[in-house]
Amino acid sequence: MLKKRIIPKFLLKDGRLVKGLRFHENIRQAGNPVSTSKVYDSYGVDELIFLDIHASVESRKTTLDIIEKVSEEVFMPLTVGGGVTSLKDIADLLKAGADKVSVNTAAVENPNFMTQAATHFGDQCMVASIDYRQVSPDIFRVCTHGGYRVTDYEPLEFALRMQDNHCGEVLLTSVDRDGTMTGYDLDMIHQLSEVLSIPLIASSGAGSLEDCMNAFYAGASAITLSSMFIFTDHSPIKIRSYLFSQGLNVRASSSSRN
Amino acid sequence: MIAIIDYGMGNVRSVFNALDYIGAEAVITSDHQQIEDSDRIILPGVGAFGQAMKNLNDAELVQVLTREVVEKRKPFLGICLGLQLLAKHGLEHGQHQGFGWLDAQVTPLESKSGEKLPHMGWNDVIPNGKHPLFHGIRSEHCVFYFVHSFQVECNDKNDILATCRYGQHFVAAVAKNNIAATQFHPEKSQDSGLEFLENFIQWQPEEC
Repeated sequence: MLKKRIIPKFLLKDGRLVKGLRFHENIRQAGNPVSTSKVYDSYGVDELIFLDIHASVESRKTTLDIIEKVSEEVFMPLTVGGGVTSLKDIADLLKAGADKVSVNTAAVENPNFMTQAATHFGDQCMVASIDYRQVSPDIFRVCTHGGYRVTDYEPLEFALRMQDNHCGEVLLTSVDRDGTMTGYDLDMIHQLSEVLSIPLIASSGAGSLEDCMNAFYAGASAITLSSMFIFTDHSPIKIRSYLFSQGLNVRASSSSRN
Repeated sequence: MIAIIDYGMGNVRSVFNALDYIGAEAVITSDHQQIEDSDRIILPGVGAFGQAMKNLNDAELVQVLTREVVEKRKPFLGICLGLQLLAKHGLEHGQHQGFGWLDAQVTPLESKSGEKLPHMGWNDVIPNGKHPLFHGIRSEHCVFYFVHSFQVECNDKNDILATCRYGQHFVAAVAKNNIAATQFHPEKSQDSGLEFLENFIQWQPEEC
């Protein structure tokens, strides 16, 4: 049967990996993206996600360069996003070696952009990246511009809209939990996965093995991990073994040629 | 020399990179002469059936491929859409005619028990008996990456090389004489995928 997926999420800034807390606080350097990709490939992770958090013109050129290099040596699906605003941006990323492209702000500002992109490149190429934060008790809103601007959209409502507009997957990120390693937002994951007919990738908050398991039980098809890999000693192999021991359907560990 | 057919749809670069990584000589091309000069052919594909057939017909590639593969019997590997195109027809956004190399049709995958669609991720592939293309791939590592919303339904069960289960059983790979094709992406399936591609490079169909 289809395996649950474990996906490292790499944030890129000017060609280097970085990691922050709640998106903007305490941004630290976290290494070389190409060599790090190869290390994770050897751990047998299921996919890689790269988000360019700077997304300036220069940063984008560097990102394309990194994706080209990664795709020459690592043979698993690569999702890339960050500052994607046009069909050309998507075409450039796919040409550089990305398999899926994630769109965030551009899709919120113009939901039809997702439809255009999916029509042009195929549903399976498009990931709707939805960032959200809590604005008051029980009230959550979608954010754009790297979490800086709050919109009137509610996450579930927007996710359904993106599904209607033919994206292939939703990448759901809690800005509040980012980098905190206090666990995924299980309620939100459950809410969305119950209603969406497309896969949901849960992002932000993983700090323990149980957190990972809980996200899958809440309905995620895949989880991303960032801080937990960079700042703790939990490797994908450990996570996979743990999940397997808990009865979850994950891939048996296999190493790559590296 | 392996010709990776470029018809404007599909991750030709990924296939090239994977072949390059395992030391195989390949060229991404739509040039009829280069295809004629090649020893093996790979047809990748991502996207819609109708658009793909249009692009291939516009470039007169269907005729060239039929000559090189069906008549001259060059080893052939179709990937994802490259499998579906081999059917007689596909039903995505209307009915479209395929290559017709397989007695098969393309139909939507059904979500019988709430499965998410597209079928996206790693899944177990179960080969039907021994075949050189799956040589050396142990069953616990016979897991490959899929991303699709449609499936191929083979009317001739002898054509089915491997199956997969996602709610329902569906065709994961076909092999008919020198023509092979996979629904999964070997170029995106790490070790198992690279092993599969190595097997394709060594494959001598006439010995089967």
